[in-house]
Amino acid sequence: MAILVTGRIFALAMLILIWIFILWNMEEAKKQLPSFRKLTGLDALPEMVGRAAEMNRPVHFTTGLGSLTTTVAPQLVAGLAVLAHVAELCVNYGVKIIYSVYQPQVMPIATELIKEAYVTAGKPEEFHAEESVRFLSDQQFAYASAVQGIAERERPAANIMIGPFYAESMLFAETFNRIGSIQLAGTARGYQIPFFAIICDYLLIGEEIYAAGAYLSKDAMQAGTIRGQDYGKAVALILIILGVLMTAVGSSFIVDLLGM
Amino acid sequence: MTVRKTIPVVIVFVVAVVVMMDYFLVLPPVSEAGKSWTSGAVTNIQNWGIILSAFALGFGAVNLFYFHSRHISRRTPGQWMYSLWLLIVIVIFTVIGVSMGATSDGYSWLYNASFFALSATVYSSLGFYMTSGLYRALRFKNLESGIFVVVGLVVLARNAPALTVYFPALGVWGSFISDVLTTSAQRGIMIGGALGAISLGIRTMTGRETGFLGKLTEEEKGGGAVA
Repeated sequence: MAILVTGRIFALAMLILIWIFILWNMEEAKKQLPSFRKLTGLDALPEMVGRAAEMNRPVHFTTGLGSLTTTVAPQLVAGLAVLAHVAELCVNYGVKIIYSVYQPQVMPIATELIKEAYVTAGKPEEFHAEESVRFLSDQQFAYASAVQGIAERERPAANIMIGPFYAESMLFAETFNRIGSIQLAGTARGYQIPFFAIICDYLLIGEEIYAAGAYLSKDAMQAGTIRGQDYGKAVALILIILGVLMTAVGSSFIVDLLGM
Repeated sequence: MTVRKTIPVVIVFVVAVVVMMDYFLVLPPVSEAGKSWTSGAVTNIQNWGIILSAFALGFGAVNLFYFHSRHISRRTPGQWMYSLWLLIVIVIFTVIGVSMGATSDGYSWLYNASFFALSATVYSSLGFYMTSGLYRALRFKNLESGIFVVVGLVVLARNAPALTVYFPALGVWGSFISDVLTTSAQRGIMIGGALGAISLGIRTMTGRETGFLGKLTEEEKGGGAVA
């Protein structure tokens, strides 16, 4: 009996190859930090929080729908990495942060991340979990309405949305735009990217949200993982070009290889 | 790394390895249905996930009650009446759901007549938001926005049957934009996103992902090159 599942052999080989690239680059990054392409949206975070401080208004943050047990979990974790950084900025600037929660499993993690920011800054007494981390609803449009309600009542000066978003993306972006919030949005869900692109001030597209944690932390080994994934991208590009050329000359080699 | 961070990393690593093994490998002993032992383990892990989610929902409900009851007791202007209404609705739904059952006619009526209708209303309002967003987007400000305007109008015209009857070329151009240009760009984003997710997964499994464990200390960073 075959130990490898038919149809997933090539995917496993690619996964192992990408793992090798990433782990190797993590080690290499210890010697020299890889350079990053500038991500304007992430560089603008201090400006966004600073604006909120000047206007004496809160910063709103949300990670959209999805949960930690589904395929969009990486987007959620990527959003939480940015939340940790934004919370630190908010504490340093003396700005209130509101994290709107759709998925209750995230609450303990988010509470810890924000609490850690207050404790690190030596202001644990200023942390109020129920004010900063707000569970709204685990129903899409109830959650969407609640976020719109927060926007209308509390008028955040900045709105940051990073994670898996669905139909509510446009509702959020438009509502916060109407109340004059400066906005940063990021998602790997292709259908929502155009909505964010036409309304928000800053945008993170697809893989950029996964790189956010590494970009903001300036941790050499995290940065190494980004370079490792770029090697994976190069392999994908080579396969695409070979696939196009070989299909054009009538060979199904690449197609068969991918289907192994 | 502290024990507080080490334990979650170890759990994540073990669970991730078992789930990946189940996806890629068939390991003996194999059941009559052709499933390896990892399938049962993955089902158990998923059940644990459901149980933990249910607990988390209780945590969320406590947060909700605490937050809104504070606003009611303080009579926060512009907020307390909404908080009160929310708590009343939660109590009504809970009492009817528990006493009559979540599949009873009474609960179904209440759900369909209130929540379902309101959800559909919010979803429908999306049309207005899209229109106002589109109005701002379709402005000729620079070269990029100009391309956006032209492409947007072609696709818009392609979806208007009356226009494609008189100008069939619009249908062809619109299809080319949707099926070739947009699809190839979307696939590029998909490939990049998938690689990014793998990279984030490795960072999570090795305890270097800040979104999962909080900020790393200089000691935890391991003394690598720093920007």
